[in-house]
Formats: sequence, structure tokens, C-alpha cells
Amino acid sequence: MKPAPFDYAAPDTVEAALEHLSGGDATILAGGQTLMPLLALRMSTPSLVVDINRIAALKGVSRPNGGIRIASVTRQNELLASKTAADALPVLVQAVSNVGHHQTRNRGTVGGSVSLGEPAAELPAASVALGASIEAHSKRGSRRIPAEEFYVGPYSTVLEPDELVTAIHFPDWPADSVKLFREVTRRPGDFALVGLIGSMTLRQGKIDRVGIAWFGMGPTPIKAHQAEAALAGQSASGIDVQGIAELAIADTDPFDDHHATAEYRRTVGRRVFARLLGEALNVRQA
Amino acid sequence: MNAPHIAAARFVGQRLPRKEDARLLTGRGSYVDDVVLPGMLHVAFARSPIARGAIKSIDLAQARAVPGVRAVYTADDLARFNIDMVSFFLITPPPGPKVYPLAKDRVAHVGDPVAMIVADNRYIAEDAAALVAVEYEAEDPVLTIEGAKSGARVHPDVESNVAQVMGMPIDPDLEKIFAEAAHVVTGTIKHQRIAQSPMETRGVVFAKQGDEITVYLSCQSPHVAARILALDFNLPQSSIRVIAKDVGGGFGLKTQPWREEVATIAAGLLLNRPVKWIEDRLESLTTSNLAREQEFTLKLAFAADARLTGCYGDYALNNGAFPHAPDCNVAVMMFMWTPYKLPRFGFMATGWHTNTIGLGGYRGPWAIESLAREAMLDVAARQIGIDPVELRRRNLLAAADQPYTTTMGLTVEDATPLECLDNLLKKVDVPAFRAEQVAARKQGRYLGLGIAVYIEPTAASGFPVLASDVANLRIEPTGKVTAILSTHSQGHGTQTTMAQVIADRLGVPFEDISIYEDDSSRGGFGPGAAGSRQAVVGGGASIRAADILVDKIKRIAAHLNNANPQDVHIEDGMVKVAGVQEVTRTLREIAEIAYGDPTRLPHGMEMGLEAQYRYSPPPMTFTSAAHACIVEVDAETGFVTIKRWVASEDCGVMINPAIVEGQIAGGLAQGIGQVLLEEVEFDAQGNPTTVTFKDYMLPAAVDVPEFEYTHICTPSKSEGGFRGVGEGGAIIGPPTLVNAIADALEPFGARCLELPLTPSKILQLIEAGRSNAAA
Amino acid sequence: MSEHPIDVTINGQKHSGRVEARRSLCDFLRMDGGYTGVHVGCEHGVCGACTVIVDGLAVRSCLMLAVQANGASITTVEGLAAPDGTLHPVQQALRDEHGLQCGFCTPGVVMSLAALTAGNEKPSVDTLMAALSGHICRCTGYQGIKRAVRRLAGEPQPSEHA
Repeated sequence: MKPAPFDYAAPDTVEAALEHLSGGDATILAGGQTLMPLLALRMSTPSLVVDINRIAALKGVSRPNGGIRIASVTRQNELLASKTAADALPVLVQAVSNVGHHQTRNRGTVGGSVSLGEPAAELPAASVALGASIEAHSKRGSRRIPAEEFYVGPYSTVLEPDELVTAIHFPDWPADSVKLFREVTRRPGDFALVGLIGSMTLRQGKIDRVGIAWFGMGPTPIKAHQAEAALAGQSASGIDVQGIAELAIADTDPFDDHHATAEYRRTVGRRVFARLLGEALNVRQA
Repeated sequence: MNAPHIAAARFVGQRLPRKEDARLLTGRGSYVDDVVLPGMLHVAFARSPIARGAIKSIDLAQARAVPGVRAVYTADDLARFNIDMVSFFLITPPPGPKVYPLAKDRVAHVGDPVAMIVADNRYIAEDAAALVAVEYEAEDPVLTIEGAKSGARVHPDVESNVAQVMGMPIDPDLEKIFAEAAHVVTGTIKHQRIAQSPMETRGVVFAKQGDEITVYLSCQSPHVAARILALDFNLPQSSIRVIAKDVGGGFGLKTQPWREEVATIAAGLLLNRPVKWIEDRLESLTTSNLAREQEFTLKLAFAADARLTGCYGDYALNNGAFPHAPDCNVAVMMFMWTPYKLPRFGFMATGWHTNTIGLGGYRGPWAIESLAREAMLDVAARQIGIDPVELRRRNLLAAADQPYTTTMGLTVEDATPLECLDNLLKKVDVPAFRAEQVAARKQGRYLGLGIAVYIEPTAASGFPVLASDVANLRIEPTGKVTAILSTHSQGHGTQTTMAQVIADRLGVPFEDISIYEDDSSRGGFGPGAAGSRQAVVGGGASIRAADILVDKIKRIAAHLNNANPQDVHIEDGMVKVAGVQEVTRTLREIAEIAYGDPTRLPHGMEMGLEAQYRYSPPPMTFTSAAHACIVEVDAETGFVTIKRWVASEDCGVMINPAIVEGQIAGGLAQGIGQVLLEEVEFDAQGNPTTVTFKDYMLPAAVDVPEFEYTHICTPSKSEGGFRGVGEGGAIIGPPTLVNAIADALEPFGARCLELPLTPSKILQLIEAGRSNAAA
Repeated sequence: MSEHPIDVTINGQKHSGRVEARRSLCDFLRMDGGYTGVHVGCEHGVCGACTVIVDGLAVRSCLMLAVQANGASITTVEGLAAPDGTLHPVQQALRDEHGLQCGFCTPGVVMSLAALTAGNEKPSVDTLMAALSGHICRCTGYQGIKRAVRRLAGEPQPSEHA
């Protein structure tokens, strides 16, 4: 399983990387945890591999002005250890602790996972649930893409071939927001059969703000729009958790694959959602 | 039988750290991919993307033009060698369809190797392989057992798709038994295809120095491999030397070199250059011979008192296109009822050819006999309304029943399945569990207990290839011991266990013994790792060879001191004469005399301290066991958690309990993988779809519980009292777990005997059970 | 196809090489460096046998290009034991607990555990056990490996053998 031949460049500035990408038939190498197997299987045969690991500007977690900015080549374990992230978005840190294995998180990047768009991955869903936006640059300019608009299919995003994801911006969620996270996997590090991530803020006993997304339940991360709409403004007590779960499932589009059937995913997803929501609301009521 | 040596069981029975570990822990093992020779070239294969069809043309021009490519070969280039693909049982000419190393005229499965590239490195070889242009005329493949029964012939030169068949339809006597039975229980077990997945894939390096051929091979016995290669190429056996120092797991896959290894050797012979092929993981999961795809329908008859009166089994095994040897797995039938008193058994066993990768061996190839039997006994217990343990008690062989000749003509003696069960039940409080189970159900938690009992026929010596093992021992002039054995370890630890046996028998320090088993040019023929035999047969040979040396040493020492050989003892490398302390000599001093000073030896004695013994064990040595496991099935997700697992074993005298338990644990882990996680799948065109470890899921650390062991020791009748244990975990593991899951799911009236029992399947059973209950 | 000069430090020794872009780090370590203790089990980053330590972190060397390791400091399993042969505590723990059979997955397991136990803080048993999820062993059923992990974390072993 050896890759087909390719050229390699390791620019140390974003500008130089964009120059390479503008030439066409180039693939970005970040953590390599996904690209290297694709190269080895010859499922990916780029002419040029652009290694962005040496670009200092692409590292670091910061709080520019509200929210957090995670530069794209931040290693997943760096995010896991980041006090900034733990304070600002603990649910994101919980999500990343479930990504792959310790060893893959030493190289795997936040940007890589977000821009890959693996339907059963945690970070794309976290971006969608929490209202993140993806900062992308090309020689033609730069843009910020809301995560909700970013994913169009399995491993398929709106990124152009000449664009580089430089950072992911997460908005602030209040410190007392309720964390929602659950994934059903055969073993740690496997693709989720069913996954759910979100955040919910209560004010005066009412649900003030909520963002929830599924992973492993469709061709992309799926925002649970109907469930969010039904929850918004509701009093935290007396919520029909099963009913909301039905609405949450209604937005999903799971498929049959080697690991689980669509029916399984819907059945278990419904249960997971109801249980998670119920526990979250009880916690807040306590 | 000789009782374990009384003077000193100083090492046998001890959990000694392994000799192998020093090199393996520090990265200084020597696996086949570590072998590097000057000028060595590398092989990659161009393989068929279709499961069945005719080869219309092969265009190699582009492949040949890649810089660094030294040769490209197809079947025509290898035709001059007239290769017969012989398998482990050494039958020539090999039975079944003609197997060519490279596909000739037709392809019979996806991945069938059509051309081979030999290049400066593997990267270039793969570049060139991608440029081999083959035109096929595709045909609809036959993929399943069902499809094989009615579909087109997989092999034009084989009469039908039946690879091998044995047995008979139900005869009138058996029909009568069923008709008169108080209880008749039927069921079908379906087992998925398994990829053996040793962590080290297959691999070979061919080298030739003048006329001497050396083959470095990842194998399960260098001697078997050397003999097979000689037969394959019609060369004198002594002309091929096979070396296999460290092998990263075999599990039955590597008992013979197969098409790619043989093609690589042929390429080396053509090029007169060292040539290496290392299988990559994609190849390992799709084009090494895989295992276990089978179906088994059983009908059992019981009398009113729940005693077995008869059984009929209808069994089918997917042989794929090119099995190592055509196989209807009649061993399943031979061994199935061994632990139980079953008066009458009939069967039909059929192996079927299909357009898929061929059948290979895997740890306990007959293992479905225990899965099917133990699962069906639980089904029977429920149907009859009797406790599953009690059902077993009424039918198991007790000591008093033995020797017992089964309906298949096997004579069972010193087997202890009932004793193992009793011992198990001392460790597992079943009534307490049942109480816990009832309480848990009220909380919506589903616990289950599964029990399985079996007898494993180890060290079976009925086939010529398995008939014996040989030990060549010599005490060097330095007093240290060199032992060259026909055993072979791919993780078995024979360099340690055999040293323990020899150290005890000779009376020398464990550290003074070096075991060699990696080179077919040293020592004599043996089958290496196969059939759970090495402790029994290798141990027996080591003991007998050591006894020859002990006898000689005693006679020399006695002669030197005018004493009686019976008064001479060897302890810790010191040769002592009872009652005469001053004449104690080191073994080294005796050896120096034996090798250098013939005038001091007894008259007429051959010089030196070298002995060989080729040991032939009893026809079969039975290991018995009873296992129990407790699971919790999550009714919301269908996930299974194993909460406890107890193994009650009788494997005779244990040489190294840590190594014994390691073998059991490794087999159990593989059994867990088979029940819960692993499955090789194909699409409708015969393309394998589980092509990486992301899809083919091997058990990880979280999937395997901490096993508890309790051992009985009934010494066997073989030399040393050992019994085999290598395959057992993989045989008894699956039924233990399947029964536990069925027990957990009992409230849902659900039982699934189609492996693997994935969360999707289990949840479906639960939901169906809930609907039925509601209806 | 581009070629690149690289300088790496492996087990304290400087190595210079010239590599094709596509050459993996594990192939470089094994074939150019001669460190055949780095084992190749799957070439797609699941089995963990190829794990080495790069700049202090346990990584799968089959998922790095050799050229990416330019300037890095790498430790392979051959670099752990002391010059006089004294085993590293991870190696010793695995030996004491019979944590290996065929030895093929072993170097990877050793390097993950060595990386995690390298610092001053003793990692928790949960951290070490979690790291085992990145390793597949086909021989041992993980029994001895888990016992070694408990030993390294200073945790008691479960119930005695019967």
C-alpha cells in the first residue's frame, strides 16, 4: 500500500500555501491521519501535496474578541489540553476527547477534521451545533463560511480546490450552558454509529438558546432544526422529551452500512436524544 | 507413561519470563520483512478486479517501461516450473482444482493474481502493477453456498461446485429415533467469513547462492515449508533451506506457502536475484486464504429424561475458489459429540466452491462443532424445560464412562469435561447469578450467563505430517545445552517452554539452554505449530532426548568414580555421586571428557554428549474445559458488555502457566471477535468490502475482559503428562458467549445463531420480541 | 516526483538522507535507518504497530511522510533500553506480566506507553488504558498488556489466579 508518486511542498506562510493551491491538483496535508491512508490506498492521487504543518500562523487557540478562534493546524490533543477552550467551550473539549485515539490526536488537526466532513465525526458536528464559522483563504481572497452551510455531502464541503481553511471560529456560549454530548461507538475511536452534540442555555427557567447536531445520522452533520425550534423559549420543566426526540430524528437521514442499519440508527438515536435531553433538563432543575 | 520427573520440577509449572522477550521487547526480532539482502528486488501483484471471467489479453508494455522495473511475469512465464500447489497435509498430487500461482486463462475471484512485477522497491512495483492492462470477459460470479448449489461451475476442470463431500442422508434407523424421541430440537447456525489477521502479514524472501536456495518465510514450520516447496517445484528437499526466526502470528493461515510466495520464489529462480514479497494489509484482508464461512443445521433427539438419543447434522463450508485443500471439514463431525454420550450420529458435510478467495485454516478449523453443539444444547434445555447445566450433566462423559468409544469411533480416555464443569461451578455461583438476573430485569437491565463444555483433540497424530516431532540435544563442551527442535513459535513461546522441560529433565539451569527451531537445515522434520501439539510432542521428544543424555552422563560419571550410575544425580548443572561429595564435577568437566578424552570414557562408548529422539505421541491427547461468561446486553443499543469470564481447564501438566493462559486468552479474544465484531463481506459482484481495519473490526483491549482461570491437572499419557491448549480458546469461546447473550435475551423470546451478533441484529431481536409481547 | 534531503535524529544519532516525497516515515526508519524494530502492520493507521515517538509524542509512523520528520527527534523501540541492556520500565513491565507472544504489535505498545510515562507526572491508569485503544494485538487478548499498564500506573491487579 504505497502512494502513487507526488511532489511535495512545505511552505511556511499561508501566502505560499495558497500559491501552491492555486496551481490545481494539489492536496493539503495537515495531520495526515486521513490523507495518508487515502494516499496509501491510491484513492487519492494528487500531483502535489502541500504540507501546512510548518505554517506558524496556523497554530494556536485564542479569544480574539468573544468566542474562540482555533487555528486550523491546532492538534486535537492541543485543543484537549487548552485551558482557553476548556473555559470557553467545555463541550467542544469533550467532543475532541472522543476523536480517534491519543496517538492520532497527537498529529490530527482540528482544521483537518472540520474540513474533511466525515459524516460520523465529532468536530464537524460540533461546528454545526455550536454555530461555528469556517475561515478560508485563497489567492482570490478570504471568506467566513457558517458551518451550517459548509457541508454538502459525505466528505464534501463548499470549499474550492484552491481554498485553505485557516481557522474555525466558535461563538461564545455562556459558562453555565448545559453540555450535550453522546456517541454510540463499537469501540473507542471508531466511527460513531449515532452521535449527538450540542449546547443549551437556560434563562429564568426557560430555554434561551440551543444548538444541537447529529453525526453518523446522515451524509453530513445534521442540525436538529425542528427540535431546536420546539425547544426554544420552552420552560425547562414539563418538556415532552420523547416528542422532541421524534422531531430530532425527523431531521436525520441515516443510511445502512456495514456497521449499523438505518433503522438501528433511528431507534437508538431517538433513545439517546431523549435520555440526553432528559438528563440535561433534570440537571438544570436540580 | 513416565510421571513428571521426581527429582526436580524446578521449572515446569513455573511462570518463568520468556527467553524470547528480551529481543522482541527491544525491537531486535527478525521477521521476514527485516531480512535485507544486497541487490534484493521487490514484488507487487496486479490482481483481477472481477470475481469470474476469462482473460482475453494482458498488456504489460506500460508496466515494463516504468524505470526500476526488472521483470513482469504472468502464468506463461512460470509454466516451465510445472508447479503443484501442495498444502500442509503434503498430499501429492494435490487434490482439487488445479491451482496456478498466477491466474492462467481465467480468473476465479476478485484479487486473483494475474501478473507480478519485480522492481527495485515496492513503491515502483505498485506503480507498475497499476499499469498492467488486462482485458476480461466478465461472467456472473457464484458467491455463496446457496449460489454454489445451483450456479455455474466455478472450475471448468472440477465436475461440480462440490469441493469435497462426506456423509449420508438420514438413514431409516435415525429417522426412527427422531420419530420416537420425546423431544426433537432443530436449529441452524450460520458463521460469517473470518480474516485470520495475524499482525504480521504473509511474506517471503528468496535468495540463491550458487545452487543453495534459501527462503525466508513467515510460516508455521520451516520444515513443512521446505518440504512443500520442494514438492511444489519438484526439487530434492535438501536443496531448499527455509528460515523463519520470528513470525508475527500464524493461526493456521501460514501452514503452507501459497500462490504469491511460490510465485515470488519462481521469480527469484528466473532472475537469479534475491526477491522479496511482503503482503500488505489490503491483500491480507482480501487475498490471503480466509476462514470459517459455514452453515450447520442440527437435529437432536432426546428421551423423556433429557438424554441424547440421536443427532443428524447437515453442514456446508464455503471453500472459495482455491482452498489450500478442498475441505468438507469432516473433523467437525469426528469431534462434535466427543464430550457427550450420544448413541447415534449421522451427517452430511459438503465443501462448496465459489468465486471468492479460497479457504484457509484458522485456529481450531472444526470449532463450529462446539459452537453448534453447545448452543443447541441450550436451545434444547429451554425447549425441554430443564436447566442447561443439568442437561449437560445427564449427557457428559464421566470418568467412570471412560475409556469410551464415540459413535465416530474415537476412543476417549482421561478426559474430564464433567470435572471441569464441577470446578467451574465452584467459581461461578449460578443461583446467586440467577437472583441478580431477576432483580436486574426489573430495572430493565438484561444480564445473561452462558456455559459451554468441550473436549479438544490435541496433538492428533493420525496424519503423516503430524505423526512425530524430533529433538536434537547436545551438551556442548562448555557444559551449555543446545537443543534443535522441530517445534516452531509464532508467539507460542516454545523457546521458553521447551527449555523449561529440558532444564528439568537434564538437571541444568534454565539459562544454560538455547533452543533453535527456525531453520529447516538444522534438526529434523516436524509440523511446527498446528493442531495444539507442541507441548505434547515437542515436550515428549525433548524429554526422551534428555533422558538419553542423562543416562550417558550418569554412565560416564559412574565410570570415572567407580560408582553405580544409579547413584549419580545431576542437579543445577553439577554431576554428583550420592554420598561422595568430593567427586562432584560440573557438567562442563564431563562434557570436556566426552568430547576430548575418549580414554576416560567407558569402553566402547561413543564420544560426545549428543542425542536425538523422534517422539510419536498417542493418537490423540484430550484437553477438557468448561467456560462461563456473564454479559450485560444494553436493551437500548444492543451492545454487549462482558462482565466476567471464567475458564476451567484441564490441560494436564502445565509447563508455563503464564504461557498456557496466554494461549487460552488469545483464543478467547479471537472467539469474542468472531461473535461480536469480525466479518468479511462481499458485494453482489464479489468485491470484498471489508478491506481495511476500519471495517474489519478486530477486538480491542476494551472488548476483552480479565479472564479468570482455574486449572485441573490430569496428566496425559504422553511423555511429560502435557496436553495441548493452543486452539482451545477459539473453540470454546464462541459458544460460551453466544449462550450468555441468548440467556440475556431470553425475556424477549429471542435467539440468534447467525454470527456476528452485532448491535443491529441484537436490537432487532429485542424490538421483535417487544412487538411480539405487545401483540 | 520530488526528492528531499532530510536530517533527523533517531535514538540520539543523527541521520541524513534523501527521500522521495512519498516515502513513509516507517519505511525510512526501517530501510534507511535500519530500525527494523518499527513494525508495519496495516499502513493505514489503525493497528498501532508502527508507533514511534516524534518530538516527545507517540505517533503512527505509517501516517507521516519521512520528509515531514526533517529536523525532528525520533525515538524507536531500539532506543529505549539502556546501553548495558537494562530494560526501560515499560519493557520490563511487559516482560514481567507476559504481555507479548509473537512480538509484532509490541514495539508500538511499548512506544505509546513510554511516551506517556516519560514525564515527571505519573499518568493515571485510565490515561494509559485509553492509549491502548490505539493498538491491536491478535495474540495475547491484552491480558498481560493491561497488567503491565496497571503496574506502570501503580494500580493493584484484579483478583488472583485461581
